Amino acid sequence: MAHAKSIYIHPAPVRVWHWLNAFFCVVLIVTGLQLRFAEVFTFLALEDAVKLHNYAGFSLIANYGLWVAFYFGTGRIRIYFPDPRTFVPMAIKQIRYYTMGIFRQEPNPHQITAENKFNVLQKQAYISIMFLFLPAQMITGLFLWRIKNFDQYITLLGGIKIVDTFHVLIYYFFASFILVHAYLATLGHSPLAHYKAMFTGYEEAHK
Amino acid sequence: MLIRWKLSLCCMASIVFIAAANAAAIENQECMECHNDSSLTRQESEGMRQELYLDYEKFKYSVHNVNGIGCTDCHTAIDSLDYDKEMPHSVALAAPRCYDCHEVEGEAYRNSVHFKAASKGVSIPCYACHGYHYVTRLEGNNVLERENHFCLKCHDPGKFHDWLPQKETHFAHVECTVCHAPDAPRHINLTFFNLMNNKYLSTKELLAGLNTTLDRFMTVVDGDHNGIIDVQELEDMVLLLRQKGIRGTFHGELLSEVEPVVHHVNRGKAKRQCETCHMPTSPFFESVAIMLDRGDGTLQHNLVERNVLATYYVNHFYALSGTRVRVLDMVGIIMVLAGIGIVALHLSFRIVASLSGKGRRGRSTKHSGH
Repeated sequence: MAHAKSIYIHPAPVRVWHWLNAFFCVVLIVTGLQLRFAEVFTFLALEDAVKLHNYAGFSLIANYGLWVAFYFGTGRIRIYFPDPRTFVPMAIKQIRYYTMGIFRQEPNPHQITAENKFNVLQKQAYISIMFLFLPAQMITGLFLWRIKNFDQYITLLGGIKIVDTFHVLIYYFFASFILVHAYLATLGHSPLAHYKAMFTGYEEAHK
Repeated sequence: MLIRWKLSLCCMASIVFIAAANAAAIENQECMECHNDSSLTRQESEGMRQELYLDYEKFKYSVHNVNGIGCTDCHTAIDSLDYDKEMPHSVALAAPRCYDCHEVEGEAYRNSVHFKAASKGVSIPCYACHGYHYVTRLEGNNVLERENHFCLKCHDPGKFHDWLPQKETHFAHVECTVCHAPDAPRHINLTFFNLMNNKYLSTKELLAGLNTTLDRFMTVVDGDHNGIIDVQELEDMVLLLRQKGIRGTFHGELLSEVEPVVHHVNRGKAKRQCETCHMPTSPFFESVAIMLDRGDGTLQHNLVERNVLATYYVNHFYALSGTRVRVLDMVGIIMVLAGIGIVALHLSFRIVASLSGKGRRGRSTKHSGH
């Protein structure tokens, strides 16, 4: 019989960052929905939705600072970078597991450790999010927060509608990602295992 | 003989009458003999000095002079000039009564906070906002020109709009009266911004770019001749300009129509609900036009369909929610549905796999029991 061993995977700053990030993302998605579809939704006055969206946006940016400080300060940022030499075979194995192996109760090809907590697909997804999509969303959000102040940059990017297009498309990406992310988090050894780990910090590694 | 004599008498009488009439009417140039002196001032009782100089070069282009309204048509208290005196006319003159001619405007002005301020001892005459002698047509002025000539003379909007998100952007693209005189009709004015030289295209340049004239503008641009420019026609127009090396985008401004009702600015009546504007169905976007200067200060309104505002051709005018690009929402819905679909499909396979796994385990336990 397989025995479980608890490993300390998620340090406190990461857990705090993660849940705050999740909270601000949800607030931004909900208020964003009100801002974009004022004729459909009326759960918030636009004036309040704008304020909430702005507060949540700046809080998310500050929280991103916490993530940067922790991961770069401790040097753990390397856990986000996949090994290019093994990336392709590992990605194929991982995709095969998610699309077939998991239904046959096969073991996950990725063994979780404190130094290597993400599988290659997670690394690829999170590196894109943390280094591309989230910064792009924060920058476009900042520009849209004070259009007049960032007028030159907005013009350089092609105009207010172009900046808004980036912001909205990334918004939809995050709305979709959060749904998939919340589901994928149920793929642990029990449906709530990863959720618990993100509160306690300890993940059970099954051998 | 008698008839000839009568005719001569009649002619003489006419000449005398015309000469007398000419003598009575005071020509602008007579006034300017004194009032073109830039040092001409009047000592006010409060110790202030009032400038009495008039720049005739500027006055020449004022809407009044263009329409043949002379000095004494407004300064009616002056009916004659007595050159024997040091001051050819009375010093104390009644203020011009603009509403004698501008009756409707005068009536509309009575329903405004500016008129009502008189009850608190603050008199705001027409010329406090409109100026004295150099009044020109406002129609062709953009938001900043209109605000600088009027509201910003007294008001500092930056002090009173802290609640308003993007207040600087609102001030730059929305005329004050759009919110503060909500009774006044308004329209979006689209202006082509040439990105090659970072300048707005003048009417002349636009018409030259399209190789047409003001009269034929709609004939050239409005392909289906229904009197309104639709998205396809705007796209064709942009392509035509591009062929002439003019690349750019449309900028938009929300302006009040120059109608008497625009005076209806009242305390507490300003629109403060963002939803008034920031809705795709907002009445504020009902009227969209490309305005072309006729050259005489008046404008030719060329109607444009409102859904043009929700395209990338109007790239620098965007009202959150109100003029959003709809196709992005289709892409977004597909992205979110794809996410939900992946989750639903994977979850279904997991459930099916789990059930069939239990079935197999159940059967194998039963079999080994035998």
